[in-house]
Amino acid sequence: MNFKKLSISVSFAVFALYGALILSLFYYYDGAVFLEILRSSRTLFSIRLSLFTATVSTIIAVIVAIPSAYALSRFRFFGRQLIDTMLELPMIVSPVALGAVVLIFFNTPTGTFIQGHGIRFIFTVYGIFLAQFIVTVGIAIRLIKAAMDEIPVRYEEVARTLGASPARAFMTVTLPLCKRGIIASSILTWAKALGEFGATITIAGSMAMKTETIPVAIFMRLASADIEGTVVLVLMLIGIGLGILYGVRLLTGRAVPV
Amino acid sequence: MPKIEVKNITGKVLRDLSLSVGDKEILALVGPNGAGKTTLLNVIAGLTDYSGEVLFDGANMDRVPPHRRGVGYLFQDLALFPHMNVAANIAYGLKIRKYTPAVIGERVDELMDALHIAKLRDRFPYNLSGGEKQRVAIARAIAPFQKILLLDEPTANLDAQTAKYFRSELSVFLRRLEITTVFVIHDLLGAEEMADRIAIMHQGSIEQVAAPGDILFRPRTRVVSEFIGMPNILDCDECTVLSTGLVEVRSGSMRLVLPYEGTAMSKLAISPHDIYISDSKPPGPALNRYTGTITEIIPLRTVVRVKVLVDGNELLAELSRETFDEMKLTAGSNVHLIVKLRRLRYFEV
Repeated sequence: MNFKKLSISVSFAVFALYGALILSLFYYYDGAVFLEILRSSRTLFSIRLSLFTATVSTIIAVIVAIPSAYALSRFRFFGRQLIDTMLELPMIVSPVALGAVVLIFFNTPTGTFIQGHGIRFIFTVYGIFLAQFIVTVGIAIRLIKAAMDEIPVRYEEVARTLGASPARAFMTVTLPLCKRGIIASSILTWAKALGEFGATITIAGSMAMKTETIPVAIFMRLASADIEGTVVLVLMLIGIGLGILYGVRLLTGRAVPV
Repeated sequence: MPKIEVKNITGKVLRDLSLSVGDKEILALVGPNGAGKTTLLNVIAGLTDYSGEVLFDGANMDRVPPHRRGVGYLFQDLALFPHMNVAANIAYGLKIRKYTPAVIGERVDELMDALHIAKLRDRFPYNLSGGEKQRVAIARAIAPFQKILLLDEPTANLDAQTAKYFRSELSVFLRRLEITTVFVIHDLLGAEEMADRIAIMHQGSIEQVAAPGDILFRPRTRVVSEFIGMPNILDCDECTVLSTGLVEVRSGSMRLVLPYEGTAMSKLAISPHDIYISDSKPPGPALNRYTGTITEIIPLRTVVRVKVLVDGNELLAELSRETFDEMKLTAGSNVHLIVKLRRLRYFEV
């Protein structure tokens, strides 16, 4: 077997592994249960809550990520390396640990003050926003920075000589040029937020009809040995996730670096 | 249009550089790679940090950001905005400066007509040839009524023939606009075609700033004379009109027939590239052909320079190493020389 065939075979083996895992779900698939669970108000609440929180936290993450990514992409400043390293925190630290850090923070005097005088995060929907934001913002910055890195600084210099202020040059040249990259990054961030579990359950808990997102619902059903219910929710999550990634692929015309 | 003064500029490769560009003047920056030509343009545009002073009409620009300097800049890579069509690219600066749609439309049309790109109005940059991109980028650079224009290698993306034509067209266009222009160009011939004055740069400083003829005939430093290719400068002792547009020039006992109007020529420059050497007598008429004796051989890396004594004048010729080896020339050999006519340059009284 030559190298080309070997490498293609390995890639198919990985595909087969995931494919087999997904197919195995159908062993416990029951159409009647599927419809019943899908129609239940608890499931519909989880779906709505997941879509809503993922959308809101993605919007906040992208709003924060765009200027941060621009700074990291364009400027050399003191602390840049430090910030860049910190962005990898959600990738190297488990979401449960991140959630635990947040919980501990809200048990400090500052955290208690915020909880008492501002927004209550612990065991509320705001906690879900916070959990998803913390887990996704670093990735959002990384992805958007990669999109901005591909746009030569030269375009902004041209805009500057034509009378545009730095902000105007960014808005009229850089932003439109990396629009596709930002949209693709936002969708991936959204998909990541949608599937977020560890930090969410640690900060917001798992209260049905209150803070139960789809991943949390999957965990709860699995914990109570409801295999059919778990299968239904996992299939829904996989369906939404793969649909989104396929959409991004069509949008960018190439494989998306995740 | 303002006068540009840069005083004691230091930054990146530049070393205590001072230069003055007159109102409406077209100045060429010429020099080897790494001399700091583009950096100097960036300093004038305010796109790079520097110490020293930049003045436009006496007003200090050091704290004025690029978008308020009123400097149009044609970058070497052109950098047309890929998400805008030709008309939108040209209109960009006008829109940013909030001109009315009527003024924008009129100015865009005027520039597209002047640069012969009206047909390209709705095309996008990926769909343009190198020459078309060049024209669009120039139109965009000057569209918002800029006071100063900087051009970095304005013909770099064009083939030799198109570049020559474009240089002469651009020269006429810039003179009509009466815009103070500084442009970077790598070859002296191109600079001579367009510029009022030429500044020769080397290692971050200016070696000489002078009119094209002065650079050629009165190089002030060794760097300048090396850069211009150490031409053979012949004194014109006598200039006789043979017929309209054709003269015979005598320099010592050497006689040359060449196209020229009048008799005011005082010096004549011949590049070493333009003197052909042959070890046998070449066929054809004897016009501008001589015989001489090799006095010195200067081998360089890829070429060989040969000094030949011809009728009392010592001429420097340059030939490729292969040709030199083939002819087996040595000091003292007698050779035939042909002087090529079309690139002769003159200095008048």
